[in-house]
Amino acid sequence: MRDFEDYCWRDLVDDEVRHIYSPYVRNRSVGKRPALLVIHGAIPDAAQRLIDEFRRRKLPVVHSGASVGDEPSCPRPCESAFFSTDLERVLKRVGARSLVVCGAPTSGAVRASAVEGKSFGYKVALAEEAVADETAFLHKMALFDMAHKYADVMSLEELLAQL
Amino acid sequence: MSAGQIEHLWSDVVDAPTRALLARRKVPPFAGSRPAIVAVDLYDLVYDGGPRPVRELIESYPASCGEYAWNALPPTIELYKRARSRGVPIVHVTYDTRAETDPRGIHPTNRQRRQKDLSLYRIKEELAPVEGELVVYKKRASAFFGTPLAAFLNELGADCLMIVGESTSGCVRSSVVEAWSLGYPVAVVAECVYDRHPLTQKTALFDLHLKYATVMTLEQACARL
Repeated sequence: MRDFEDYCWRDLVDDEVRHIYSPYVRNRSVGKRPALLVIHGAIPDAAQRLIDEFRRRKLPVVHSGASVGDEPSCPRPCESAFFSTDLERVLKRVGARSLVVCGAPTSGAVRASAVEGKSFGYKVALAEEAVADETAFLHKMALFDMAHKYADVMSLEELLAQL
Repeated sequence: MSAGQIEHLWSDVVDAPTRALLARRKVPPFAGSRPAIVAVDLYDLVYDGGPRPVRELIESYPASCGEYAWNALPPTIELYKRARSRGVPIVHVTYDTRAETDPRGIHPTNRQRRQKDLSLYRIKEELAPVEGELVVYKKRASAFFGTPLAAFLNELGADCLMIVGESTSGCVRSSVVEAWSLGYPVAVVAECVYDRHPLTQKTALFDLHLKYATVMTLEQACARL
């Protein structure tokens, strides 16, 4: 796996920032029995790749937004996929014990859902290519914050290798 | 609030294409007549090591916000003074340090070095609750998650919130998003929130103003109390 700071935000952070956030550096992994939480927005191609790979491995895919086929969906009235939805019940029903979050926007619903997922006690992983935002700056800084505090951020290939 | 009065808070960090999003988005005015102040995580731990640059403190005090914490102290004291003189409730939020509420390995963030001295989660003396003010003890990033905060605010009759505290990109941000989700107009008082570095502080202020809250100066906030 690449160095903890060697992801899309690398051009925005200098040595001082890396030093200040060094207490958060750690090994990263996808948790046990992951479900893929798809935040429906302008989702990037890599998110579709994750959806395909989860389906191929018979791992649960849960949609936050419009339903897709017979996969469960939880329409989302606010920002977090958990807020005022039955996502917690659905995750129990599909036997999920950790989350992989993909979709858009990175700094909006993806971030709010990843943070609340961690608050609910799920280990959360993200692939940087499988989330997207309106601008590169918002995307990179949201991933920087999540990677340090709330979620294990890695590349798509690194994440797929762990499924 | 026009963006012109506050855009200096982030314009040297947030790039031009991102700042342009704000011009296209309608930030609703901060509405409401019965505000409450929610003060997030203003405990001794973040003042640890004194008012020094965070880079000099991080080895010995990994949770400290150093000079940023200390710089925010006088304006926050001023905001509290104004709120108390106007009868505006202040709800204080800190970490629940009871050992039996700490399941193995589950923490608010993924910071690897943990604070062993739990007395440092005492609210800073200068900002301590006065008699009659409520305190919420939390275990997660958002001040609402698993706490009675939403019920307290209903009982207090608050119809809008001003949020202060730390860290801007962490617990303040999560609390603002949840307050917004619950339907509150939310203000974030710029001088009274802080983080560990201007990059995370200014990005969070901008992003909160873009999406969920009205970022305002202390002077503007006091005028609303």
